[in-house]
Amino acid sequence: MSSTSAPTRRVPKSLRLREFPGFGAIAVFALVFLYVPIVITTIYSFNDGDSALIWKGFSLRWFESVLTNANLINSVMISLQIAVVATFFATTFAILFALAVERLRAKGSSIALGILSAPLVIPEIVLAVATLGFIRIIGLQPGMLALMLAHISFCIPFALMPIRARLRGIGGTYFEAATDLGASAWQVARRITLPLLVPGIISGALLAFVISLDDFIISNFLSSSGATPLPVYLFSMIRRGASPAVNAIAVLLLVIAILVTTIAYLQTHRRSKKNA
Amino acid sequence: MTRTGTVEAEKRIPDPSPARIKRRNPKRPGQIGWLGSVPALIIGLLFTVGPLIIIVIFSFLSRPKTGGGVIYDFSLEAYRSFLVQVDFLGNTTFDPRYLAVFGDSLVQASVTSVVCLVLAFPLALWMATRKPRMQNVLVLLVTIPFWTNLLVRTYAWMLILNENGIVNTFTKAVGIGSVDLLYTPFASQLGLIYTFLPFMVLPIYSSLAGFDFRLAEAAYDLGAKKMAVVRRIILPIATPGIVSGLLLVFMPAFGSYVQPVLLGGGKLLLIGNLIAAQFGASRNWPFGAALSVIVLVMLMLTLMLIAFYSRRSGRKVEISL
Repeated sequence: MSSTSAPTRRVPKSLRLREFPGFGAIAVFALVFLYVPIVITTIYSFNDGDSALIWKGFSLRWFESVLTNANLINSVMISLQIAVVATFFATTFAILFALAVERLRAKGSSIALGILSAPLVIPEIVLAVATLGFIRIIGLQPGMLALMLAHISFCIPFALMPIRARLRGIGGTYFEAATDLGASAWQVARRITLPLLVPGIISGALLAFVISLDDFIISNFLSSSGATPLPVYLFSMIRRGASPAVNAIAVLLLVIAILVTTIAYLQTHRRSKKNA
Repeated sequence: MTRTGTVEAEKRIPDPSPARIKRRNPKRPGQIGWLGSVPALIIGLLFTVGPLIIIVIFSFLSRPKTGGGVIYDFSLEAYRSFLVQVDFLGNTTFDPRYLAVFGDSLVQASVTSVVCLVLAFPLALWMATRKPRMQNVLVLLVTIPFWTNLLVRTYAWMLILNENGIVNTFTKAVGIGSVDLLYTPFASQLGLIYTFLPFMVLPIYSSLAGFDFRLAEAAYDLGAKKMAVVRRIILPIATPGIVSGLLLVFMPAFGSYVQPVLLGGGKLLLIGNLIAAQFGASRNWPFGAALSVIVLVMLMLTLMLIAFYSRRSGRKVEISL
């Protein structure tokens, strides 16, 4: 138990505490547990058979069948419309809010942040039925407008987080320097703040987009026969049991998740590299 | 990739000069006026706070004779019917059915939280002790399932637990015969654990990620056993992450709706399903609202507990992923 290398090293090359008994095994098990279902779904989406689970050889025919299903495409278009609108407004409002929130009184900013992050901890079913009751009171019907407004609301916290994190990472010095050199508030915002915020904005917008695209519970209560978003349509398919078509849709959604997560992640990573 | 909502529990140092308490914080370069926060707040007030106020009001109203909605007559009937049943003669008897649903939800959410913690703590610690590059890859690996559609993740287990699924193919091959797995409370429980595992891993990891493990090594060098290092040094560091993870797993699991329906087959109803049913087929909005208020009260109690912990330990608990 003696020190083996120079005490000045910053990161120990071989941390003797890297392994705790049994922890590695549990960690690997947890990772496998996270991925086995996803991998199995992916494999079976390429199944040629008519049953979800009886393997009849490799085929792309279920992807073709899914991508030519008019009802499904329709629900995808509805979902995309909602997601684009929700992402645009949620991200814009989140940027404005992030830049302004520190100016509120201490108590005010806590309350404001509390209100905006409430959708993260309130069980979604409660928010869903509450919103359904609320839109009735204000004279709205379930449908596109209600869906869009609700989506903007619960997307804001997700858009806000990477943006605020990025803003904290930038620090005040750039803005101070610009102001000292005579830049107006508008010039600072346009030429300094926004360009520096770009990675945070991209991450925030992507996360808002995925959250909106994936939302089922709130959308389920606010959808109407003319406005059925993809997850609501998918749920009605799944309730009828496993099917090869659902496998294919699942994999397409999985691909979107992987793409978005990776891009958002690379944006965050770019920040940490630059600031290191 | 950070989801950060703040539970406003940290102590604020009172400003010494009384004049400044009244005024807004001075504008620093790069900030915009407080008006900038207005659009987000209007949306938040309208579509988060507004609905919550409405649901509390609804829970004290009466239901119309037919159909959904409410009529504006004050009534405690919704809360009473959670505990008692009135028969056609007007006698009231204690009715434990809904209390049982509440209990089942508590049990499923608690089991989910505990199992997630048991899996997530070693995983998060293991991740935090890898090389930086490896850590990045691992965070991405844990994050991908997290951003995958909830229905897709739930559906994947339908494939596995199906009577023709992987598990049953195996048990048939071994000679045990087919096992009923899908549409059982067990399947629902498994789905909840699977869905919420990343919610536990990420906050614990982020509370461990900045930790200088040379400190743990120092304790080790001074003769502490490995498990003592975990218990006395690493666990306290991870506690804010664990608390935040428990909240992020317990509350959504408690109000879960999708997994009990798709994996549990609706055999074991949880409070989320009961709420949904009141606004759907049962058309008893006040009762559904009262159930929602009960869930919200649970949430507030949990948040108060966290605030209490945060104040006593002096550690700020961020609800972050």
